Amino acid sequence: MSRILHSFVLETGAELLKALRAPEFIFPTLGMPVAFYSLFAIMIPGSSNNPDYLLATYGVFAVMGPAIFGFGISVANERDKGWLDLKLAAPSLGFSYIAAKVCSTLLFSSLSLVIIYLVAGFAAGVVLPQPTWALLLTTHILATFPFILIGLIIGFIFNANAAIAISNVIFLAFAALGGLWIPIMLFPQSMQSFAHFLPTFHLSEIALYVLGAPGERDLNYHILIIAIMSLVLLAATAFAWSKQRNH
Amino acid sequence: MQQSPSILYASNLKKSYGTVEAIKGINLNIQGSGVYAILGQNGAGKTSLIKCALGLEKITSGTLQVIGSAPGTLQAKRQIGVILQDSDLPDLLTVKEQITLFASYYPTPFSVEKTIEMCALEDFADKRYKKLSGGQKRRAQFALAIVGNPQLIFLDEPTTGLDIEARRNLWAVIRDFAKQGKTIVLTTHYLEEAENLADRIMIMNSGIIVADASPSEIQKQSKGSVIRCETSTSYEVLQKLTGVSSVSISGRFSEIHSTDVNQSLSEMLSLDPNLKDLTVNQPKLEDVFGRLSQGVK
Repeated sequence: MSRILHSFVLETGAELLKALRAPEFIFPTLGMPVAFYSLFAIMIPGSSNNPDYLLATYGVFAVMGPAIFGFGISVANERDKGWLDLKLAAPSLGFSYIAAKVCSTLLFSSLSLVIIYLVAGFAAGVVLPQPTWALLLTTHILATFPFILIGLIIGFIFNANAAIAISNVIFLAFAALGGLWIPIMLFPQSMQSFAHFLPTFHLSEIALYVLGAPGERDLNYHILIIAIMSLVLLAATAFAWSKQRNH
Repeated sequence: MQQSPSILYASNLKKSYGTVEAIKGINLNIQGSGVYAILGQNGAGKTSLIKCALGLEKITSGTLQVIGSAPGTLQAKRQIGVILQDSDLPDLLTVKEQITLFASYYPTPFSVEKTIEMCALEDFADKRYKKLSGGQKRRAQFALAIVGNPQLIFLDEPTTGLDIEARRNLWAVIRDFAKQGKTIVLTTHYLEEAENLADRIMIMNSGIIVADASPSEIQKQSKGSVIRCETSTSYEVLQKLTGVSSVSISGRFSEIHSTDVNQSLSEMLSLDPNLKDLTVNQPKLEDVFGRLSQGVK
């Protein structure tokens, strides 16, 4: 048992080192969310509710990057280079490759969240009761999982070059159209309806509910949709995995 | 008489991808230590065979066993190491970090230090993989193949794309490992590589093993030169000339394999002064294949 644990710790450490040594990963995952949040919540002041509102949505933005880039690009790359085959041929536990990536991704999304929370609390003047901070953090961390599945699907289907392009498109489109940057109330009606098809919209609505943002929200509806989306993504991930094994 | 256990055993093994038959019924029994080379051109089915033995591909029919276990089982994987064809390791990890990680997968691995020493990686063990030369990268891959102290290692075209010096360095490391009582199955399309390293050479062509011989037998076939020309001298006469080991006719050309080109040629010219389109070449791998497969069948 301790040997398996030892191996898993090394595997996670290797994933963290790979991520930390890649500036092209660090910038969009750790730098971009806090930079955008600072820009829109502090430097361009709107109504007094903005820093709170944006904390909920930018938190979702912060966990999306590590998951989509960490899985989409790195799995595609490692599959292309035969690294995944080498792991499957070795007596490593098949699951540990994915589990280590999940751990490393959760550490990165937590780090990204902590940076935004610090800026929100100390620079943007967001004041929340302690239990609300804790519940918001939990919500945001759980929000990582649907994006991990999206990243895995990209990683299993596309080659390394295509995966970079697709990950970027999905990352930016999900953020913009799901209302993570600008609230969807400001969108035209048709785009508001479209947002309902995106996990980013529902996740940010859940985070807004947790934070107690003004406005009516049907929490159960958003949780149900996210649950359905996650199940569909899980099935698609399993399909993409078996397809790439029997290409 | 007690039989030594099979390291790699195949019986009527077949593997198809859709309608393409990559392996068309192979029988194989590798026992004991040493270097076994599977020699063949691209598309001969060598890589398919290795992927099946690793459990990365499912066999279509027949039997395949790795050290008594089914391919892909944990039991089999623990006794195998591999260099995959055209594969790379993660760019941003150092050689030592990768060896440490891989060692943790196996129950009784070599120590990281010993692995570094065995593969002569001291000079670049702390460098990131991305910064290594082609030869250094392949030695790092070899280190991952052996760090688990496996009984059997597969090397799928380990020296393709390397320069002569890097190739020789890797050969030396492979030979040292074989001396420790390990079994190495190596695929290559370099005849020279198989001759230099292998105790036994299996030649694979279009999904079947066409020959199974010692390097000295293969060497005998690959020595000398191939004379190719259009001549009126008959097959029977050509065969009896000095130095000629075999003759084949392809279209209007006669191909004469000779270990004494000067003598054979002067006799040919005296028999037929008008012979046309003369060329003299080193025997190609295909020529050796052809002769060996004829010899074995």
